[in-house]
Amino acid sequence: MTAQTVSEKLPTKKTPTVQTSQWWRRLTDRRYLPTVGTVATLILLLVVGQLRYSTDDRSFISARLFSNLFIDNSYLLVLAIGMTFVIISGGIDLSVGGVVALTGLVVAKLLEGGAPLPLVLVLGVLVGTTIGTLIGVMVQYFKIQPFIASLAGLFLARGLANMIGTTAIGIKDEGFASLASWKIKFGEKPDIWYVNLSMIIALVVLLAAVYLLHYTRFGRTVYGLGAGDNGQAAGLMGLRPGATKMWVYVISGTCAGIGGLLFAFYTKSGYNLSGVGMELDAIASVVIGGALLSGGVGYVLGTFAGVTVYGLILTICNREGLEIWWNRILIGVILLGFVLLQRVLVAKRR
Amino acid sequence: MTGTVQVPTWVSRVTKHHLFWPVVALVALWIACGIVSPGFLDVKIVDGHLFGQLVDITRNSVTFLLLALGMCLVIATGGIDLSVGAVMAISLSVALTYIDNSGTGEQAGTALIAIALALAVAALVGAFNGFLVSGLGIQPFIATMIILVAGRGIALAFTGGQITTTHSAPFKSIGSGFVLGIPTPVVIGAVVFAAVAFSVRKTALGMLVESIGINRTASHMAGVRSRNITWLVYVICGLLAGLAGLVYGAPTMAADANNIGQLMELNAIMAVVIGGTKLDGGKFSLAGTIVGALILTTLDRAVIIFHLPSESKDLFKAIVVIAICIAGSERLRESVGLRRVPRLPEPPASRKSVEVAA
Repeated sequence: MTAQTVSEKLPTKKTPTVQTSQWWRRLTDRRYLPTVGTVATLILLLVVGQLRYSTDDRSFISARLFSNLFIDNSYLLVLAIGMTFVIISGGIDLSVGGVVALTGLVVAKLLEGGAPLPLVLVLGVLVGTTIGTLIGVMVQYFKIQPFIASLAGLFLARGLANMIGTTAIGIKDEGFASLASWKIKFGEKPDIWYVNLSMIIALVVLLAAVYLLHYTRFGRTVYGLGAGDNGQAAGLMGLRPGATKMWVYVISGTCAGIGGLLFAFYTKSGYNLSGVGMELDAIASVVIGGALLSGGVGYVLGTFAGVTVYGLILTICNREGLEIWWNRILIGVILLGFVLLQRVLVAKRR
Repeated sequence: MTGTVQVPTWVSRVTKHHLFWPVVALVALWIACGIVSPGFLDVKIVDGHLFGQLVDITRNSVTFLLLALGMCLVIATGGIDLSVGAVMAISLSVALTYIDNSGTGEQAGTALIAIALALAVAALVGAFNGFLVSGLGIQPFIATMIILVAGRGIALAFTGGQITTTHSAPFKSIGSGFVLGIPTPVVIGAVVFAAVAFSVRKTALGMLVESIGINRTASHMAGVRSRNITWLVYVICGLLAGLAGLVYGAPTMAADANNIGQLMELNAIMAVVIGGTKLDGGKFSLAGTIVGALILTTLDRAVIIFHLPSESKDLFKAIVVIAICIAGSERLRESVGLRRVPRLPEPPASRKSVEVAA
């Protein structure tokens, strides 16, 4: 296929078709193929949904669908974005689920004690940053494997959450409640959809992450770390792999803190058992979004598509009225599909 | 004169042994528990059965030990198996659903068939993991994550979404019975440990596994059948995880597919790492997994003995893991001067120069 596109391209070099052929080349470039696969799956799911669930007066694909999707999954999107940084750098962060629980409980407890809301929100995010920094120090300074360091972070976060309280604490603070339920209404009666605060925060995080990962020296270094040589190549290029390695965990922790906040908005409570297994959902979304767990490959927008696919699967399971365990099995199957696709692509490269 | 030379070498040999810190931690924990609760270290014989806190700890540690043994071999090949917790849930669900449907749970034959079925399914799941890892060459982390995500769904499909409870005295005895006064799980753990240790250390298998973990390509070129051995290791890990699920669930006879084995993969990996096996693969320590499993179980018990809220268990584990990892890290060894003299032309040197450059 590559040979074909090259031979096509050479004679038509100065004709207007160059642009389309470049487009096609970009689309079939192996670097982009996993992400293209994600988008293809996304479209497939949407088409299936459209064919099965559309009624005469209401289409499945609608602003409402996406609005609901991101109201339900904005926290996961933020977690997955943080995880993208870590995975591209060749590491892993297992602590995010625990951080979500800890952040929720800290916020609930502080608000119960009457602390001012802005301070509480900042502290909630800083909880994540602190755990992330701790993991980063263990990984970078003490050379502990990311898996074990973040595992310790998971137990630490969950242990602290357990110490704060083992029952769900409802958040009754008025300011918090109004923030959580704040939304802009769009559309007319049958097709009302909303944009709420969580979606806006998630979007801001998304844009910031795209800029940071794809347009800065820091982002280059993250990709360099993923080359698997412990950042030597990045170091020789004059980048700073050591500090960056720590910073990706700080970013992931901060994202987990923000995600915890959004989850608290979503559930309006803090609970020490919330977010069990959420780190796996985040990792699965990132992998579905086209990142390689070995590092060096992946895109923030791919992760965005991955989270959308993840949310759509749950929506479709729900619509089908399938038993709850089918969710897990289906996500496992989709994950298997993507892993096999990636495997084929990597095999071709060699 | 020789005496003065030998004493420091003896001390340094002990302190530099990979099990030194874990064993110190375990003994310290036991002594601390013994001081707080004077009867802790006693072992009594009641009705010909062994009783006591230490016996309980040993019995409870068998689940971790079984998981950690399989995990240890997988980690030695440079892999990881995240699916063990889900496999525990699957195997227990299969066994109890079979006993429940048969209606003849009190017969030893039914219990044996149930055990065989459960172990077969567990081995099958292990074979699936092995196929993905060695057959298709997928990274172990992600390959085994598929079962971690889907496995609980499969277990729930077996039990129909219910918590299956049933009665079967012979099945229950593998979790709560005694053989010659020793708790059955401990006997199972000892037999499995002996079998694994024998087949790994008395044949070439262990060396081959280590060679795969150290350098897969080189071992393949040297004629090691790295594919088949990797596959075998995942099957063993699945089988042992299935057995662990049965031992763990037998005393309660309830298959709660949602909760059994939750976070067990992480505990198992922790037991292996505490036991001194590096996650990078290569050299592994089976004896270390016993120490690791005992430390984790003792921590669970210590929380109760110290009258700490049972919720602080995870915090405790986190602190111990961080402490052991940092105690064993190169950076600390360097600064304390405990660092082993590297025998090879030092590979970290290049890394250091990069850091300086950076």
